[in-house]
Amino acid sequence: MAECHPVGFQWVMEAKRRGATIIHVDPRFTRTSAVADIHVPIRAGSDIVFLGAIIRYIIEERRWFHDYVVHYTNAATIVTEEFQDTEDLDGLFSGWNPEKHKYAAEFWQYQDAHVTPAAGHREQESAETRAAHVTRIGAIQTDPTLEHPRCVFQILKRHFARYTPEMVEETCGIPRELFLKVAQTLCDNSGRERTSAFCYSVGWTQHSVGVQYIRTAAIIQQLLGNMGRPGGGIMALRGHASIQGSTDIPTLYDLLPGYLPMPRAAGSGTFQKYVEQNRSASAWWSEFPKYIVSLLKAYFGDHATRENDWCYDDLPRLTGDHSHMTTYAAMADGSVKGYFVMGENPVVGSVNGGFQRAAMRKLDWLVVRDFQMTETAEFWKTARNDASNWAITEKIGSEQINTEVFFFPAAAHTEKDGSFTNTQRLLQWHHKAIEPLGDCRSELHFIYHLGRRLKELYGSSEDPKDRPVRQLTWDYPVRGAIQEPEAEAVLREINGFSVADGKPVEDYTKLRDDGSTACGCWIYAGCYRNGVNQTARRKPAPEQNWVAPEWGWAWPQNRRLLYNRASADPEGRPWSERKRYVWWDEEKRSWTGYDQPDFIKDRPPSYRPPEDAQGIETISGIDPFLMNADGKSWIFVPTGLRDGPLPTHYEPIESLVKNPFYGQQSNPARMEWHRRENPYHRPWNDPAFPYLLTTYRLTEHHTAGGMSRWLSWLAELQPEMFCEVSPELAAEKGLTHGGWATITTARATIETRVLITARIKPLRIRGRLIHQIGLPYHWGSLGLVRGDSTNELIAFSGDPNVSIQETKALTGNIEPGRRIVRAGERPYA
Amino acid sequence: MNDGRSIDLTVATLEGEAAQQIAPSREEIEPPPVSVAGGYYGRPYLKPPVWIWSIPTYFFVGGIAGSAMTMGWAAQMFGGREFRRFEQHCRWVGALGGCVGTALLIHDLGRKERFLFMLRVFRPTSAMSVGSWVLATATPLSAGSALLARADRPLRQLGDTAGAAAGLLGMPLAAYTAVLLANTAVPLWRESRRSLPLLFAASSMASMASLFELMSLSNREQAVVRRFGTIGRAGELAASLQLEREAGPAVKPLRQGAPGTLWNAASVLTASSLVVSLLPGKGRKKRILSGVLGLLGSACVRFAVFHAGKASARAASPEPELPRFPE
Amino acid sequence: MPKGFFTDTTVCIGCKACEVACKQWNQLPEDGLHFSGMSYDNSIELGASTWRHVAFIERPVALSGQNAGDLSWLMLSDVCKHCRRAGCLEACPTGAIIRTEFDTVYVQPDICNGCGYCVVGCPFGVIDRLQSDGRAWKCTMCYDRQKDGMEPACAKACPTDSILFGEVSDLREKAAGRLAQLHERGVKEAYLYGADKHSQPGTEGLNAFFLLVDKPEIYNLPREPEAPSIRAKQSWLSLAVASAGMLAAAIGAVMSSRGRGAR
Repeated sequence: MAECHPVGFQWVMEAKRRGATIIHVDPRFTRTSAVADIHVPIRAGSDIVFLGAIIRYIIEERRWFHDYVVHYTNAATIVTEEFQDTEDLDGLFSGWNPEKHKYAAEFWQYQDAHVTPAAGHREQESAETRAAHVTRIGAIQTDPTLEHPRCVFQILKRHFARYTPEMVEETCGIPRELFLKVAQTLCDNSGRERTSAFCYSVGWTQHSVGVQYIRTAAIIQQLLGNMGRPGGGIMALRGHASIQGSTDIPTLYDLLPGYLPMPRAAGSGTFQKYVEQNRSASAWWSEFPKYIVSLLKAYFGDHATRENDWCYDDLPRLTGDHSHMTTYAAMADGSVKGYFVMGENPVVGSVNGGFQRAAMRKLDWLVVRDFQMTETAEFWKTARNDASNWAITEKIGSEQINTEVFFFPAAAHTEKDGSFTNTQRLLQWHHKAIEPLGDCRSELHFIYHLGRRLKELYGSSEDPKDRPVRQLTWDYPVRGAIQEPEAEAVLREINGFSVADGKPVEDYTKLRDDGSTACGCWIYAGCYRNGVNQTARRKPAPEQNWVAPEWGWAWPQNRRLLYNRASADPEGRPWSERKRYVWWDEEKRSWTGYDQPDFIKDRPPSYRPPEDAQGIETISGIDPFLMNADGKSWIFVPTGLRDGPLPTHYEPIESLVKNPFYGQQSNPARMEWHRRENPYHRPWNDPAFPYLLTTYRLTEHHTAGGMSRWLSWLAELQPEMFCEVSPELAAEKGLTHGGWATITTARATIETRVLITARIKPLRIRGRLIHQIGLPYHWGSLGLVRGDSTNELIAFSGDPNVSIQETKALTGNIEPGRRIVRAGERPYA
Repeated sequence: MNDGRSIDLTVATLEGEAAQQIAPSREEIEPPPVSVAGGYYGRPYLKPPVWIWSIPTYFFVGGIAGSAMTMGWAAQMFGGREFRRFEQHCRWVGALGGCVGTALLIHDLGRKERFLFMLRVFRPTSAMSVGSWVLATATPLSAGSALLARADRPLRQLGDTAGAAAGLLGMPLAAYTAVLLANTAVPLWRESRRSLPLLFAASSMASMASLFELMSLSNREQAVVRRFGTIGRAGELAASLQLEREAGPAVKPLRQGAPGTLWNAASVLTASSLVVSLLPGKGRKKRILSGVLGLLGSACVRFAVFHAGKASARAASPEPELPRFPE
Repeated sequence: MPKGFFTDTTVCIGCKACEVACKQWNQLPEDGLHFSGMSYDNSIELGASTWRHVAFIERPVALSGQNAGDLSWLMLSDVCKHCRRAGCLEACPTGAIIRTEFDTVYVQPDICNGCGYCVVGCPFGVIDRLQSDGRAWKCTMCYDRQKDGMEPACAKACPTDSILFGEVSDLREKAAGRLAQLHERGVKEAYLYGADKHSQPGTEGLNAFFLLVDKPEIYNLPREPEAPSIRAKQSWLSLAVASAGMLAAAIGAVMSSRGRGAR
């Protein structure tokens, strides 16, 4: 975190000053380890063993927060008899379809009650399945004693029974005593009086089981009662400024704003069917229709009426997976003709760069918007030298590439108004300091004027396929010589307004499904409350309470801590004075506290839903996690995940060791691209690739380098690509400090300078010394400082839930010396 | 614009404190061993002196000038008529040396056009400030005294007064450069701060005598020069021994490499010069040999001390040892 | 009121924001794009174009209270110390180096004539002469920002408050408090470097002082820095003796060589 989020890390250091214990788990000793109290070196790719063992420790040592677990999680819920665990099926859960390489999710549901996921893959559960089961919240069966053999708690206990400290030592390379110290420290710092937080950076997601890593941490936090309470939680430290914002109002292909799913061509044909699929019978997602109707009203304005299903048919439909790697593979196959790349440098930042460049050569046109002429914008320049991928042997000169590249220089954040949404869901407005220079324009400018021109182009078209473009509202006011759209007007639309008088809505509870409100993103409703840009508020800390509700604006409803009902006990009293945050005020018959209570304001703790309750009436007074269908937080995820209801240790797709727990080596549902340009190593012990590689960022550079390699003051701080190796490995391979090394995988070979450091330690796994090689990935063939790109080495592969590539644990080889420059290739100047 | 700044001048102005700096390029360093125990990767904690050859040359030239001025004054006061010519020679050497020295100093300045700023203030804590004032005062005084020597009485008296003043200033001029070196953080110079002025003073006497040995002099003048030179040469040898003792461990750079060679050569040359000058006989060749040896010896002393100082600053890092906590 | 920095190395995370902020504010050029092999330190040292420098020390010894194997990684953001008794200022013959109204040491670039004496006058090896423009440069403690009531760029940018800017007396108080806290938590090796005249008589205390956890040499700081002028007397005295000797020798040589009848 200190490496990649030095600014956010100030709060960690502040906590440390006040006596907090910092535990850092990382294969390498990093700048974070340097200031941590405990550093735990771990074999990259073995995190679920480590975390699973903490879960086992909590259960074995009876350290779980009993009242919290029983009342606020689904630990007591009884699961269907059809569920079978990985312990029973040697690494698979019930419902596995070996032909389709997919799970059927109904095998993990609750006994007698099917619930809809709050997020994730809602389409997994078809409407037909739902119709076959009556979904009544009252049908959920629980055992508050947690002793029923099919209750979540007992399933959890059995599932992690073999995740022992001994296995941690043998699988992760972490000494038993160190593991126990961590487990004990964490438990000692949790409970009524204390809370602990988990912070993870994007690296945790870049595994073929990335989502389940985070799930494992979530289970620990639930067992220890660390969710929805001050000082607790799981902080996802995102990869860039406002990446949180780009999932809220998504640049993701399968989401509409506010985590509403994108309609699919198959299955969600009509509006009614789409709603049926995504609306939950219980809890907060029962409000789904209000949000989608308001969104459609914002999109299509007066065109959207009840009669035409609010122009639902104007929305595009997904025909399948359109994530990054799938799209590039399709591009290589010639089925993607044009491509927009905005603020991204996939040739360096994404995996298997050689393959990606080869794919782009098949494009008719490519649009790149960036600060610099990045390696992606100039991919055609390096084409002849494109020897990084072993499988791509064709030598193609620039003159043979027919892709037409349009480069649009981008305006920086200082040159435009707008907001950043940080990992705490906090929106902070920034004001333009200067006009963008030359042809530089903001994304808003580009998209708005592109849309405006398209509308002009299709304005008089009678063709039904052009209807969505004609019906789209696109009426943002523009200003100044460059006709920059007003960013605040967009924020106003995102906030939502009453269609009748255009007045901003106060918050999402005011949204309606009758077409009387329009809202660009329901969770952001309230960010422009009272016609005031709430995100631009900058009241100093001393002038408000410690939660600082008047600095910026946090979604939803300016709530700084999600699910904060859980900061009070079932009766609505704070768990302790020390951790007082939100509580029930019996006199006022209302929830109150330092923050916006995340609960129905006047619903008393004693409320229990009647048998026939519908919608949000089903949320009982002790259901803090009201986005989940049962109001509980999910230790066991009955639906929504593609690779299992509980985290299970699978080895990385390319590993040095055989899975010590199961016959199933790696995530059965993982994504792979089997093609010539994307070869894989043997799943374990590939003799050609005997070392473990892990990639990461350095503080000095920003991701693929577009914002740092061209900037002299940053470039000079880390001027050359290097690898980090232990003195032991250096001795084994004859590597010299400051010299050169060549690193090879089945995909490519790169050369790096060598930094020998004791911060990388070989780990002893089952008596065998495992060497890890650290690889920062910032460099490319252009810029002030140049070098080979680490990501050339890495294969297309993915976590099944989120299609994120596995870059943090793979295998490879290292040899001393520079790489052989192939014929026609130009070495970096 | 590749000036190492990444500043777009269409919107920005170069008004920062260092905006006028021209991008320097540090040389690539040899990566140090993986772990250098103690110290910081073997890097010095000091910056080496930035001075170039003209500085030790000035030490040498300024030394001759200072000694000559002092000798001129001694001759003026105690020599009488028979030393008038010698006195004038001394005054001229002093003046000329001062001028050459000044030129050498200006040559080393980073901003030559600002050489007059040396006299912008008088700062007693700075040996360079003191020295600049001495040089800037003594040189015209010496020249003035020489020029006025043939003038009529009142002016000649003024010249003599100037000569006396120059003679007084000649002493610090001859050796303030040693104080200048001693008052730095460079370990070798700093640790030899007591003997260094003695060394430089003696060396300046020796070099002044050596220079005069090259001239054609009367017998009496020869005697003065020989006696003065003998004291200077003997003093120089004694002071260098004393310096080696005083500097302690910091003497190391003076015992190795090029500075070590220069240092040893200086002793050999000076000693030879002393021996030759003391040999019986009054041949001109003998004097010239002794003079050349003496001049070379004195020059070697300055260059040796100078370069050893540079090496000393570069080597200013603690001895390798295992890290441990301070008491 | 004297202004200064208190740099607490125990909370430094080596992000180098101070280096970048310094270069950006002062418009200093990049000064070399070479891989050094010195851990993550590619700036190597303070110099004419590097006024903040973060040192990285990979030490085969654990920090007290830290459970991280036999290893610790120390980081220190080094800077001009703005000594109470400043060797560079005392050496400067032109008056280019002055003590400002903030009690900081500042080189006036329009006065400096590049004599180079300050370079050897600094016991910390901070100030250096730039080859290309012949002047001496070092940290100004953002004199221009201070004149406008702003804190120096490095302190402003430091995310963890490892660099604190303020009045030296306040900083000393804070440093003492932090030191006591660390000692209480078992970090016995922590100590203040250059906090006052008492602990560092050679400089009479630093306006930019540090909290360290290992001996100063590890961070490339001298153990006992001294303004060179502190021992100036000895060399001046020696010069006086030498002068007297020279005069005596000259007079002696003249007198002993005189012919009869002179004067």
